[in-house]
Amino acid sequence: MEMKFTTKNVNVYYGDAQAINNVSLDIPDRAVMAMIGPSGCGKSTYLRCLNRMNDTIPIARVDGDIRLDGHDIHSEIDVVHLRARVGMVFQKPNPFPKSIFDNIAYGPKLHGIATKKSDLEAIVEESLQKAGLWNEVKDRLGSPGTGLSGGQQQRLCIARAIAVSPEVILMDEPCSALDPIATAKIEELIDELRQNYCIAIVTHSMQQAARVSQRTAFFHLGDLVESGPTTEIFTNPKDQRTQDYITGRFG
Amino acid sequence: MTDTSILSKTDYHTSEQAERLLKKRYRSEARFIFYGRLAIICALLILVTLLSSIFLQGYTSFYQHMAILEFDLKQELVDPQNTGDPEVIAKADYRTIVNNMLREKFPDVTVRRDRKALKDIISSGSDLFVRSAVMADLSLVGTRATIAVPLSDDADSVFKGFIDRTLPEDERRVKDNQLGWLDQLSEEGRIESRFNMTFFQVGDSREPELAGIWGAVVGSALTLVVTLLISFPLGVATAIYLEEFAPKNRWTDLIEVNINNLAAVPSIVFGLLGLAVFLNFFGLPRSAPLVGGLVLALMTLPTIIIASRASLKAVPPSIREGGLGVGASHVQTVFHHVLPLAMPGMMTGTIIGMAQALGETAPLLMIGMVAFIVDVPTGITSPATVLPVQIFIWADSPERAFVAKTGGAIMVLLSFLVIMNLIAVMLRRRFERRW
Repeated sequence: MEMKFTTKNVNVYYGDAQAINNVSLDIPDRAVMAMIGPSGCGKSTYLRCLNRMNDTIPIARVDGDIRLDGHDIHSEIDVVHLRARVGMVFQKPNPFPKSIFDNIAYGPKLHGIATKKSDLEAIVEESLQKAGLWNEVKDRLGSPGTGLSGGQQQRLCIARAIAVSPEVILMDEPCSALDPIATAKIEELIDELRQNYCIAIVTHSMQQAARVSQRTAFFHLGDLVESGPTTEIFTNPKDQRTQDYITGRFG
Repeated sequence: MTDTSILSKTDYHTSEQAERLLKKRYRSEARFIFYGRLAIICALLILVTLLSSIFLQGYTSFYQHMAILEFDLKQELVDPQNTGDPEVIAKADYRTIVNNMLREKFPDVTVRRDRKALKDIISSGSDLFVRSAVMADLSLVGTRATIAVPLSDDADSVFKGFIDRTLPEDERRVKDNQLGWLDQLSEEGRIESRFNMTFFQVGDSREPELAGIWGAVVGSALTLVVTLLISFPLGVATAIYLEEFAPKNRWTDLIEVNINNLAAVPSIVFGLLGLAVFLNFFGLPRSAPLVGGLVLALMTLPTIIIASRASLKAVPPSIREGGLGVGASHVQTVFHHVLPLAMPGMMTGTIIGMAQALGETAPLLMIGMVAFIVDVPTGITSPATVLPVQIFIWADSPERAFVAKTGGAIMVLLSFLVIMNLIAVMLRRRFERRW
C-alpha cells in the first residue's frame, strides 16, 4: 500500500502540557485510516497536525517530521497550499453563512481552479454529486447553506472540501453531531470517496471505525498504542490497552 | 447507620418543612419580580417627567407670531433707476421701508421714545423678510405689498401668554403702549401664528425670533462625518489587527489596557488635547468641524475598537477553521468570513459611538466651537457650532424666548439620537446572520 503521509516522532505541546508523545504513523493513499481512542487521547490533535491546523492555536507547538508525498509539510510546502491539498471536515458542520453554491464555489474561486461561471457551476454540481447531496439541493443552490439539516450540512462541508481537488481529506469526528441515518449516509460516502482520496478519520465510535476503515490507529493518553489493518486491530490486538478499549473496559 | 443517614429520608419532599421552604422560595421570587417592575415604573416616570418638561418648555419654539403688514415698496426707494437688476434691488434700504410702514400705520406716534418702542414690537430683522419677499417676486417693486414679518420675541411672548398683563408696567418687559399697538394689530386680524420655519432654516442670532438651529445641525453633521470617516476605518482596522493578527504578548496587553483606559478618559481632556495638538501645534482653524471631528474621533475610537473586538470575538472559531480548511489564507479568512459576520456588531458599536459624539459638548468648548456663529457652515473648515453646544449657548441666554429655543433644540437633538439608535437596531436586524 502506497503511503500518502509519513510522520515520525511527532510531539505536540499546548503550553507546558504535552498532548501527544513521539507518534510515528503512516497514512495510506486511497484508503481510510481511522484513529480511535478515549477522549483526550490526542487523536484529534494528531489529525490537526496533518494540515497544520494547530498553527492557529497560539500556545500549540508541534515538532517532528511530517511528510506529504515525501515533502516536509513545515519546510517544503506552503501552509495555504498544504491546506488546499489536505482538505478537512470538522466535528460540527460549519458551512459558511452563504448560499449553497457560494459555499462550494468559494474554494475553487480562491485557488483559481475555475474563474468562469460555467466552470464553477460544473465544479459545484460534481462536488455535490460526489458528496451525495446534489439531488437534495439542486433546486435551491441559492438558499443559505446554514438552512440545511445537520447531515446535509456535513455533506455540504464534504462537498466544499472536495471542490478544491484535494489529495487528502481529514475528518474530525464528522458524525458525532448527526443522527444514525445521516451517519449511515456519510459512512457510505466515505467508502466511495476512498477510491480517489486518502482519508483520515477520527472517530469515537469503534463500530464506525470497523465499518469504514482499512487501517486503524489506537491512541491512548497521547501515545500511539498500536496501528495496523483494521481487521487485525479489532480481532487480534497486540496491546492489552487496545484489547481493553475495544472490548469496552474503558473509554 | 443507613437509617440515620440524611439521604435515606425519602419522605422529605412531602414533609411540612419542604412545603414551607417551597412557599418561601416562591414568595422571594414574587418579591423579586415586584421590585423589578417597580424599578421599571420608576424609570418610566422619570423619563416621562424629563421628556414632558423638555416638551412643555420647548414646544413654543416651533411656532411664531407674524404681523401681516402692508409695505409701500416705492420705486425710488427700491430701484430708483428702474433697472430691474436683482443685485440693485437686493441692496435697497429696506429698513427705511419698514420704518415708513410703521409711521404710516401708526401716524399718531410721534414722540421719539414711543417710536423706538413701536419699532420694538416687530423683529429687528423685519427688513430681511421684506427683502426676501421682494427678491422672490420682483414684480412687487413699486407696489404696495402685504408681507408677513415676525414679531419681536417680547411681542411674541405676549401672544404665547408668557407676559402677565396684570403686573405693574415697570415690571413688565412689554409696556402698556406696546400692548395697545399689539392689541390693535390683533383686532385687525394682522397677527397670525405660523409654524416657525426660520428655526429650521438659519443659524444662530442675537434675536430669539431670528435664531435657528440649522447652522448647528449642519455643523453637527459635518463634524460627525469627519468623526465617522476617521474613527470607523481606524477603529475597525485596529480591532482586526489586535484580535486576529497581533501576537499575544506584553506589548499588545499594554495596548489593550490603554485602549480600555482611553474609553474612560473624561471628554474634556480630549478637548484640551485637541486644543494643544490640532490648534496650537498643527495650526488648524479654530471652531471648525474638521477639528471638532478629529477630537470626537479620538474620543469615539476606543468605543469602536472595543465593540469591534467584541464582535470579532463572537464569531465562532468553526467559521475560521472552515475558511482555513479550504485553503484560504489568514487574511482571506478574516476578510471573507469573519468580518462579514462581525460587521453588524461593529456598525452597532460605531453608531452608539457616533450618538455619543453627537451629544458631546465639553471637548468642543475647548476648541472654540462655543463661539457665536450666525452663518450656516459651508465646509469642514468654516466656523461652526454643533447641536449640544447650541443648546448650551441658548440655555445661557437670558431672554425668555431662548428658554423655549433651548427646549426646541433639545428635542431636535433627541430626535436625531433616536433616529441613530433606530438605525443601529435596524442594521443589526438586517445583517444579523445565524450560523
